[in-house]
Amino acid sequence: MTESTESSTSTPAERFVFGSEHDFLEKLKTLVKSGVKAKDIEILAPHPVHKAEEILSLKPSGVRVFALVGALIGAATGYLFPAFTVIDWPLISGNRPMVSIPPFTIIAFELMILFGALSAFLGFILMSRIPDVITIISDTEFKNDFEIVVKPGGVV
Amino acid sequence: MSTANGGAGTTSSEAKMSPAEIRLQMEHDIVSAMQKPTLGYWAAVFLCATVFVVGLLGCWAWQIYKGMGVAGIMNPVGWGVYITNFVFWVGIAHSGTLISAVLFLFRARFRSSFNRAAEAMTVIAVLCAGMYPLIHLGRMWYFFWLFPYPNQRLIWANFKSPLEWDVFAVSTYLIVSVTFFYVGLIPDLAIIKRYTKGASRWIYSAFSLGWRGTKEQWRHYNTLYALLAGLATPLVLSVHSVVSWDFAMGIVPGWHTTIFAPYFVAGAIFSGTAMVMTLVIPLRKIQRLERLITLEHFDRLAKVLLFTSLIVAYAYTTEFILAYYSGNVYEFGIFQHRAIGHYKFFYWGMVICNTVIPLPLFKKALRQNLVFLFVISIFVNIGMWLERFVIIVTSLSHEYVPYSHGNYTPSWVEGGITLGTFGFFFMMFLLFAKFLPVVAVTEKKEEVH
Repeated sequence: MTESTESSTSTPAERFVFGSEHDFLEKLKTLVKSGVKAKDIEILAPHPVHKAEEILSLKPSGVRVFALVGALIGAATGYLFPAFTVIDWPLISGNRPMVSIPPFTIIAFELMILFGALSAFLGFILMSRIPDVITIISDTEFKNDFEIVVKPGGVV
Repeated sequence: MSTANGGAGTTSSEAKMSPAEIRLQMEHDIVSAMQKPTLGYWAAVFLCATVFVVGLLGCWAWQIYKGMGVAGIMNPVGWGVYITNFVFWVGIAHSGTLISAVLFLFRARFRSSFNRAAEAMTVIAVLCAGMYPLIHLGRMWYFFWLFPYPNQRLIWANFKSPLEWDVFAVSTYLIVSVTFFYVGLIPDLAIIKRYTKGASRWIYSAFSLGWRGTKEQWRHYNTLYALLAGLATPLVLSVHSVVSWDFAMGIVPGWHTTIFAPYFVAGAIFSGTAMVMTLVIPLRKIQRLERLITLEHFDRLAKVLLFTSLIVAYAYTTEFILAYYSGNVYEFGIFQHRAIGHYKFFYWGMVICNTVIPLPLFKKALRQNLVFLFVISIFVNIGMWLERFVIIVTSLSHEYVPYSHGNYTPSWVEGGITLGTFGFFFMMFLLFAKFLPVVAVTEKKEEVH
C-alpha cells in the first residue's frame, strides 16, 4: 500500500493506493468504522467491487427508474401508436378487429425493451456524469490499482 | 494468487504473481493482440473485402440494374436464398446475446472469455441479416416504406403483419445489441487509452467517455449492465420467435406449426454457438490468447453446443411425428417431400450435420480438442444454413395443389450475394479483432483474487 497527501486544497486529501482488492477492502472497512462518511470517500477501482458498495452502504442506482419509465412509455407507445394508425386510416386485414390487441402486443413488447434499454443508457450517462470532457482531454487515466481518496473534511 | 475459473487459466508463473501483476499481464495480453497488424492480417482483410465488394456489392448492383429476374426466385418458390440468409444471420446473431446476457444472469464465469467476440459477432450478423430483406425487396431504395411515418400516401404500415413485426424486432435487436456491446467496451477502451499515443489515444479516450472507475460510475454501470442483460434476454427469445412467425403465421404446410418459435430459438443458439467457435478458435491461436481463453472454457461452450443440438434433434423428430399424427395429407406430404423428394440431400445433410456430427461431444477429450471443435462448428454452420433452406424452399415448392408444385435453383447472383455477406462478416470481424479488445479485460480482472 502507498499513502500520499494531496496538498492542493487548504485541508489535504488522503490518498491510499492498493494492488490487492483484499487490502483495499480492509482499509475501506477501517475507514468506515472510524467514522468517515461514504460521501467523503471516493474510490477508484479497475473493476466493479460489489463488496465496496456494501461497505459504503450505497443506495441502489437510479438507473433502474430510468429503465422502468422508459419501458412503460415504450409499452404504451407500442399499443397506442398502432391503434392510432388503424383508426387514422382503417386497414382491415385478415378479418381481425381494427384495434387488435394480440398483434399489437408484439410491437408493445419490442418497444418496451427498446425504450427501456435506451432510457437506462441515458440514465447511466446522466447519473455517471459522462462524457467527462476534462478526463477525455487530460492525461487522467483509468488505472490498474485500487485507490481510496478521503476528501478534505473527512475524518481519518 | 489465481484466477477464479477453476484454476484452468492459472499458469505456474501466474501463481507467483501478485493480483496487480496478473491484472497488468491481462492488459498486456489484450493490447499486444491489438498492435502492429501483420502482412498476413492485411491480406486476409483484403481477401474478405474483395469477396464483399465483388460478391455482395457487385452482384447486388447487377440485380438492381437488371431486375429481380436475375435471381432464381420465381413462382411457386418466392422466398429462396435471400430469406434463408436472413434467417441464418439472425440466428447467428442470437448466440452473442445468449453468451453475454443469459450467461451473465446465470453468473457463468466462462462467458468472460467469449462475450466480447460474441457481442461483436451479434452486431455484425444483425447488419448482415438486415441487408437481406432489402436485397429481397428489389426496389430497395423504398425500404423506408417499412417504417410507419406520416406520408403523402396517407397510409400506415400494417401492424398486424408478421413482416412489420420483423421490422420492429430486428431494429430493436440491432439497437439494443449495439448498446450492450458499447457499454461493455467503455472501461476497456479507457484501458486501451493508457497504451496508445497520438490520434489513437484521442479516439479511444473520446469513446471511453472519460471513464475513471469511480464508485458512482461503477454503481450505475453495474445496474445498467444487469438491466441490459435482463432486457436482452427476453428480447433474444422474442426476435427469433417473431422471425419464426414470418412462416408460422402463414398457412403453408410445413410452416403452420406452433413449435416454430422454440424450435427457431434453439436453432439460433445452436448456430450462433458454432459460429463463436469458428471465430474464436483461430483468433485465440493467432492473437495468442491461450492464457485468457482456456480449454476449460471451450469445454463449457461445447456443452452448450451439444445441448442445443439435442433440442434441435428433438424438434426435427417432433415436427415429423406431428405431421404424421395430424392425419393432414398436405402436412405429411411436405415431410415426405423433404425426406425423399427433390431436396432430400439438403434434408439429410441438415440432419447429419446438426444432430449426428455433434454427438461425439459427449466425450470430454473431444470437447477440449480444438481442431475437432473447429471442424464440428463448420459442419454445424453448414447444417443450420441447410435447415433454413429446407424449411423455406421445400414447403413453398410443394404446397397444396400439385399443379403448382415446382423446384427452385439459386442463380449465380444469389450465390454471389451470399458469399459476399460472408466476406463482409469476416472482414468486419477481422477489423474488430485488431481495433477493439477481443476479450473483456475488465471482467477478466474481476476473476483475480
